[in-house]
Amino acid sequence: MHAVHPIPIREIWVYLSGSPLLALILTLTAYQIGVMVYTRSERNPLANPVAIAVLLVAVSLQVLGMPYAKYFEGAQFVHFLLGTATVSLAIPIYRGFGGLKGRVFPLLLALCCGGLTSIVSAVGLARWLGADATIVGAMVSKSVTAPIAMGVAERLGYSPTLTAVFAVLTGILGAILARYVLDGMGMKSWWQRGFAIGVAAHGLGTSRAFSVHPEAGMYASLAMGLHGILGAVAIPLLAAYIPVS
Amino acid sequence: MILGLVQILLWQGVGELLSHFLLPMIPGPVFGLVLLLVFLFIQGEVPESMALVSNAFSQHLGLLFIPAATGVVLFLPQLQAHAMAVIVALLVSVLLTVAVTALVLRVLSASQSDEP
Repeated sequence: MHAVHPIPIREIWVYLSGSPLLALILTLTAYQIGVMVYTRSERNPLANPVAIAVLLVAVSLQVLGMPYAKYFEGAQFVHFLLGTATVSLAIPIYRGFGGLKGRVFPLLLALCCGGLTSIVSAVGLARWLGADATIVGAMVSKSVTAPIAMGVAERLGYSPTLTAVFAVLTGILGAILARYVLDGMGMKSWWQRGFAIGVAAHGLGTSRAFSVHPEAGMYASLAMGLHGILGAVAIPLLAAYIPVS
Repeated sequence: MILGLVQILLWQGVGELLSHFLLPMIPGPVFGLVLLLVFLFIQGEVPESMALVSNAFSQHLGLLFIPAATGVVLFLPQLQAHAMAVIVALLVSVLLTVAVTALVLRVLSASQSDEP
């Protein structure tokens, strides 16, 4: 007769939580669930897969009693690829460049005005409403596509995490609300609508624009790419003049 | 696909070096992006294997933010204390940005198309 051994859950747990495997499984599963919910909801911007995934991972960490630093140790392999993904943004920008033809001046000026508006309004309002310097600092680059925004924030000494969160929230809000603003203004041409969404709401706005009309999508991705490059160059130069506290 | 990934990683590497030794204010991957863009213009086309990598990345770009964005748990008390400021700032800012960009485009392209 064998004695029934209890499953050594504790040992299995100690072993698993020591390797990056757990964090990676958690991240990918949460994202997969997020994507499934998003597809099921017919791509409703409110069911944003990243927001869902972040919520799921945060709750799981809480339940497992795993500190964030420990999770990040494993998940950093996914995080690292952000840089690579940033470089690969060159390809959609290159493809969108045809759209600049004959419209360089209006597009670039609109981009500069839009970019400045996003910084001044977000930083100004957050300060005016009494947010602290950490939050205000993370507002500075939130309209730039998240991988670049985080890099910029890091160099300027602002929180890359909060910047990523604000960037994702901006993308969600823009993807949901931009059409009402554009309809209200009576904007008819797809390229103008797409470009405005891309400047304000980067990646999430762009995917929204693509689902509405291919021309809007192309201009949105051009706007997102150009805003990314401009933001990376201009925000560090402007940073000295942006008071965060 | 692997060849494309290797090329992109190499541009990222060159970008990191430039950022480190030349202009630390600009993130390395942004240098890599600009260099790759120049390279694509010289080539005149996007190599097939690179297009595959780029499609995969842009399709699942959101996945890559999750580890960093989950860090929001560390800021929850702060965000709760300033929830109103955060929501208003983000909301108004994105609406204004859409409006200003669209307005500039409309004014400028209207004045352009008036010309013969």
